[in-house]
Amino acid sequence: MKRSPLATLLLSLVTLLVFILLYGPIFIPIVTSFFTVKYGSVDWSQMNLDAYAKLTGNEGVIEAVENTFIVGLSAVAASLVLGTVIALHCNSGKSRSRALLQFVVFLPFLMPPIITGLSLLIFFREVSIDRSMLTIIIGHTVFVLALVYRTILVRLQGIGFSMIEASYDLGASAPQTFFYVLLPNLKSALIGAGVLAFALSFDETMITILVTGTQNTLPLRLWAMMRLGFTPDINALVAIILALTTVMVLIAARYLIPKDFAGADA
Amino acid sequence: MAVLLELKGVGKAFGATRVLEHIDLAVEDGEFITILGPSGSGKTTILRMIGGFTQPDQGQILLDGRDIAHDPINRRPFNTVFQDYALFPHMTVAGNVGYGLKVRGTANAVIKQRVGEVLDLVQLGSLAARYPAQLSGGQRQRVALARAIICQPRLILLDEPLAALDVELRKQMQEFLKDIHREIKTTFLFVTHDQEEAIAMADRICVMNYGKILQLGSPTEVYYRPHSEFVARFFGDNNLIEGVAGDRGSVATPIGTLPCAADGTEPAAGAKAFAVIRPEAIRIGNEPGANTVVAGQVSSVNFGGAATVAVVDVAGVPLRVKLPSRAEGLPLKVGDRVQLAWRTEDCRLVAA
Ligand SMILES: Nc1ncnc2c1ncn2[C@@H]1O[C@H](COP(=O)(O)OP(=O)(O)OP(=O)(O)O)[C@@H](O)[C@H]1O
Ligand SMILES: [Mg+2]
Repeated sequence: MKRSPLATLLLSLVTLLVFILLYGPIFIPIVTSFFTVKYGSVDWSQMNLDAYAKLTGNEGVIEAVENTFIVGLSAVAASLVLGTVIALHCNSGKSRSRALLQFVVFLPFLMPPIITGLSLLIFFREVSIDRSMLTIIIGHTVFVLALVYRTILVRLQGIGFSMIEASYDLGASAPQTFFYVLLPNLKSALIGAGVLAFALSFDETMITILVTGTQNTLPLRLWAMMRLGFTPDINALVAIILALTTVMVLIAARYLIPKDFAGADA
Repeated sequence: MAVLLELKGVGKAFGATRVLEHIDLAVEDGEFITILGPSGSGKTTILRMIGGFTQPDQGQILLDGRDIAHDPINRRPFNTVFQDYALFPHMTVAGNVGYGLKVRGTANAVIKQRVGEVLDLVQLGSLAARYPAQLSGGQRQRVALARAIICQPRLILLDEPLAALDVELRKQMQEFLKDIHREIKTTFLFVTHDQEEAIAMADRICVMNYGKILQLGSPTEVYYRPHSEFVARFFGDNNLIEGVAGDRGSVATPIGTLPCAADGTEPAAGAKAFAVIRPEAIRIGNEPGANTVVAGQVSSVNFGGAATVAVVDVAGVPLRVKLPSRAEGLPLKVGDRVQLAWRTEDCRLVAA
């Protein structure tokens, strides 16, 4: 069946409109970050980087960004190590304890974050751990672990046992098998899982509110600022974050979409 | 020949299913031994126990008189060629082949030289820099073999390594494996469910079914002198004529009492038994030297390439006769009355 040119044009227009409505709001802060905003209206006459310059002086936001990165990177590192260890263990056989462990790993991801946060809060109080950056990192690790674990487990199952058996068969020790055979084949899954875990940690708010001491992460800071109204430098911040996120998504897509080894190392 | 490896009373069960029952098997140094059996008979399980991937529940696996049944995989001087090759996808051919030396801490220069030698041996010298994904099935097979022989193991275990290849390539690889075996003189333990492959390759064949060893012997022995109904049926299109065993290896059947060659393994007199005659051992017409002659009527003639198979109905028992084909066709028609003759030593007796 052939469509008439008019129908094709109309369809394209409708599609375009939908895209503008859906994704337009995302681009508004990017565009406005390059112009001066005064008394709630944008001065379109002149492009400048004033907003970005102002952002560098906004200590509250900068500290929050720093905290977010510290928390995110620490949680990613911790969850990658834990996720790999647990996935290796759970993949090595079947047992009740393994099923239970897997359930516990998934629980915080499946429960509403407010419940996870409250449980952690109560736990920290009971064992008298003062709330600090450390407790935020623990909270985020617990939250992202399920995703990291799952990603690694799926890859391990894809690798199968025969490659591991072949390594032992050729005389390798367990550490040699891990570093020479498993890790290179897990690498892309680890990178992909790490990026996704970082993204999750980046905008985690509910658990963070409950387990933070005096520290602010970026979402907490933005949330606090909402009551006072945003300053123009926030537009610049949003633009930067969007750029960063796009890069991250590209990396994640490159490493998480399975592909055959076409020769060059992935 | 000296015994290299000995399985003594080895048994294995997975849960409630007994997979291997009291296996006794002595592998001789330098031989090419094949374990042959239908799917599920326990071939892979034996191989995996020798390699160390599974532990036996009972029995011993003796190497140089020492029980290695519970030694870790990486301490056994054996290497395996896996059915799915199990090549490392992130390493080149050279990386794969050199892996066994690398994990032993061999110097890089030595690894490089040995990899070169072994790759030349398997005729893959030019592909050292390729990745497994860039190789054909037969080439991957040869990389897997090279990887297994580079550490000079005492025994090479091969689990249906040719199953994934097409017929033509399979024949080539069979030749190739035999050549390599002759060249390096290492003991090969080869698992297959294909009887032709086993006959073509092995010095000795170990026939298994339901976790038991039914017969162990040279290809001609298991082919011409089956000790059981299963082995007789497993090797191609044997004629099995049911009857009752009599004295001195004879058997009373509907087509008469047939004398059989006796080798001490036949059933006692009065037991149900089969007379087993290979279709190519039967001649048409009363040949000189034949000890047994029966008469029947040809019920079908089927041209099958090198051989033509005629089915002759003898007193209600169909007997297959395999004759060399001829371009002008055989002087046999359906409905012809013919005499069939064979020698006593071509007729075997097995328990029913
Ligand atoms: N891990 C396991 N758990 C339970 N049963 C198993 C396991 N491994 C093998 N079996 C069973 O043991 C029996 C023998 O298996 P095995 O793999 O040794 O057979 P095989 O002779 O190699 O067959 P094939 O020609 O199909 O490879 C089969 O019935 C199989 O179902
Ligand atoms: Mg098998």
